[in-house]
Amino acid sequence: MTRPTPRLAAAAPRMPADQRINSDLLRPLTETSWRFYALVAVFGGIVLAAIVAWLSQVTRGFGITGIRWPIYWGFYVTSFVFWIGISHAGTLISAILRLVNAGWRRPVTRCAEVITVFALMIGAMFPIVHLGRPWLAFWLFPYPSERMIWPNLRSPLVWDFFAINTYLTGSVLFLFLPMIPDFAVVRDKSTGRRHRIYRALALGWRGTPRQWHRLETAMQIMAIAIIPVAVSVHTIVSFDFSMAPVPMWQTTIFGPYFVAGAIFSGIAALLIAMAVLRRFLHLEDYLHPVHFENLGKLLLVMALLWGYFVFNERLVTYYGNKPAEMAVFWRTQRESFAPLYWTMVTGNFILPLLLMGIRRFRTITGCVIASIGVVVGMWLERFLIIVPALGHKYLPYSFAVYRPQPVEILIAGATFAAMTLLYVLFAKVVPIISIWELKAGAHVPSALVPPATQEHPLGELHL
Amino acid sequence: MKAVYGLYPDGQTAQQAVNRLRAAGFAERDITVLSPQPMEDYEFGQRDKATWMWWIACAGGAVGMATAFGLAWITEASWPMNVGGLPTFAWWPNLIIIFELTMLGAIVATVATLVVTARLGRAGGLYDPAVSDGQILVGIEHPPDSAVSELQTALGAVRHATVKTI
Amino acid sequence: MPKWGMTADLDRCNGCGACVTACHAENNISTVGADEAARGRAKHWIRVERYWEGEFPDARLKFRPVMCQQCDNAPCEPVCPTYASHHTADGLNAQVYNRCIGTRYCANACPYNVRFFDFFNPSWDKPLHLQLNPDVSLREVGVMEKCTFCVQRIKAVTIQAKADDRPVADGEIQPACAQACPAQALVFGDLDDPESAVSRLSRSSRGSKLLEDLGTRPSVTYLDRQSRTDA
Repeated sequence: MTRPTPRLAAAAPRMPADQRINSDLLRPLTETSWRFYALVAVFGGIVLAAIVAWLSQVTRGFGITGIRWPIYWGFYVTSFVFWIGISHAGTLISAILRLVNAGWRRPVTRCAEVITVFALMIGAMFPIVHLGRPWLAFWLFPYPSERMIWPNLRSPLVWDFFAINTYLTGSVLFLFLPMIPDFAVVRDKSTGRRHRIYRALALGWRGTPRQWHRLETAMQIMAIAIIPVAVSVHTIVSFDFSMAPVPMWQTTIFGPYFVAGAIFSGIAALLIAMAVLRRFLHLEDYLHPVHFENLGKLLLVMALLWGYFVFNERLVTYYGNKPAEMAVFWRTQRESFAPLYWTMVTGNFILPLLLMGIRRFRTITGCVIASIGVVVGMWLERFLIIVPALGHKYLPYSFAVYRPQPVEILIAGATFAAMTLLYVLFAKVVPIISIWELKAGAHVPSALVPPATQEHPLGELHL
Repeated sequence: MKAVYGLYPDGQTAQQAVNRLRAAGFAERDITVLSPQPMEDYEFGQRDKATWMWWIACAGGAVGMATAFGLAWITEASWPMNVGGLPTFAWWPNLIIIFELTMLGAIVATVATLVVTARLGRAGGLYDPAVSDGQILVGIEHPPDSAVSELQTALGAVRHATVKTI
Repeated sequence: MPKWGMTADLDRCNGCGACVTACHAENNISTVGADEAARGRAKHWIRVERYWEGEFPDARLKFRPVMCQQCDNAPCEPVCPTYASHHTADGLNAQVYNRCIGTRYCANACPYNVRFFDFFNPSWDKPLHLQLNPDVSLREVGVMEKCTFCVQRIKAVTIQAKADDRPVADGEIQPACAQACPAQALVFGDLDDPESAVSRLSRSSRGSKLLEDLGTRPSVTYLDRQSRTDA
């Protein structure tokens, strides 16, 4: 990749000129280095291997996994909950910050929305991956079958189906709609086949005030709609656990706990994605340290919130002192799962508090380290909710230990490769920072700018 | 003449152009303005703001709600299955389905309204690729032949204008 | 409408395991081999849970045959997305193999761990394939299965009784486990008939339900041990 032109030296970074914004943000679409192809090959290979692994599971029988009596959910359901959780990145950043008119969201919204859509797609794959008879998964869809039997609307898994589909539809539209004006920019700057493709995608966008108003109103409505949907999605995923009388599962705290954890892991994923994009696509002029600082502070808040929920959950269990629940309680905290448990606490609580709480460490590197810790910690948290409890329910004769097998490890690990691959491919065909939203930051109507605070689109904020 | 228009580098000059067109007697609905981003800090960016979209979104939500309620009622009543002693039509679980389809209805209605009212997917209309580079286009489509030179003068009188006739 | 139930007399049960074997034979449950059994894939619809109390030489054994409790408030039923697990009018928890897509949520919800997943397609070494029961369907890989109170026997007897235009006699229906038990520890019958053996035994002062505090309202009553070896 060619070196970019040197940054305009300034104490506070100023918005680069319109044409430079266009060329900077469209460069990934037009210039491709060998690194792109290498990345696609490697991660594509991993994803392919995982697909082969899953097909072998379908043909040779589910027994090649580590699932066993009575631990019937393991890596697959962990991955499912984890990726649905990651998908809350986009909603928080994009929708909530849009609704509160936070200008610093502008370079970040599309990065976040892309994470949401792809994480949702990956997560939504797992209910099919973990089925015993996945070729019958369509029975979850309410269609008038020959026998006139419908799905059980009282089952949390059917709620999952409705919620995830609603959220996926909403997120895809929420991502796609603001891409239309950017497709128009690419259309105008390209020729030949690329021009024809983007002309089709741009849907005849011209940029009249009428179109802008309709688009912004639609985004506003969808932002208002998608927030409750996102909250409901992960609450419903938590219902997959709290609706079963398993020790330490049947607790009312799971709804809010899972939503908070989802937003938490989503912010962490976003920080990692932003740092990587900034480095590899040379977006230093657009993703400033202040963006990372702001998100880092949010990460800190969510870490505290996560700690609060864990404390609540465990204190109440501790006081209840019910034998079955305390057995699972100690299993995670002191006994066989203790190493994983304390790794989780370190990654989710101690590391973010240190790195995000102390200003000196709240740099881009600090944010990335803390975020990686959170991603690891949150994956472990899902695992530690599911497996220790299932292996230690009520009747000691049936207690057991779960040993994940290669097929599960490969598929669960390949999801990270899949996410990276999809992200890289996306950034190759769509500008990863929303061009028009970035420019629109300079044209905010005065009603939205309260006199006391000036909306400073890309400036430094010292609080 | 298909169109006469001017390209302006910033909102202020574009606003002046629009004012001049109005002063020259052109009707509001004949004036075309194209910008590379929404510019609501200028008067021309405030045109055509009124929309039914909020109401249509609510209506879509109502349709979704009715659909979900109907789905739950019909499917659960047509083959009443006893699961764990729960009532056949249980409000608490069905509220979840009803909520999800309500939001889906609102979202789909919003997008459909957007596509229709923003006239997405329809080809044609005045456009210049310079708009993507940050220029604001102000012009008239299909002007009467007699008004062309007056148009060109009015548009060209503003600073930094690039007037084009196609 | 009858309501089927069972009692298990823990005083009589000596842990011989005849019920387990009979259940395998009656319900076409394949054995999975030593390796897979070690990996927790065995499917014992009824199992004898054995617990040790005390230390050698004063160790005491307690046996408890555990099968599907056919709970009235079954946690496995509302969670099944396809209604494969639902409650019948005669008090049984039905498992419809054809409708099961294998989410395994029911098994997680079951506090008794009496639900089993088919990890592989079943197979029987010759000549054991000749002893398969034609009244019971084979389950393919990916579905859940569990004790049905030998519903095929219930149906056979009730249909025959209806054809003969007579009521079903108490004790006429014998699930395989009850039939095979040499100590007659397992008794099956209609809990809605106050005079049936199972009703009378359920009302015994020794009677208790397994994990009663969970509120599942099981249909199986366990009669506690009275004999104590340290007396």
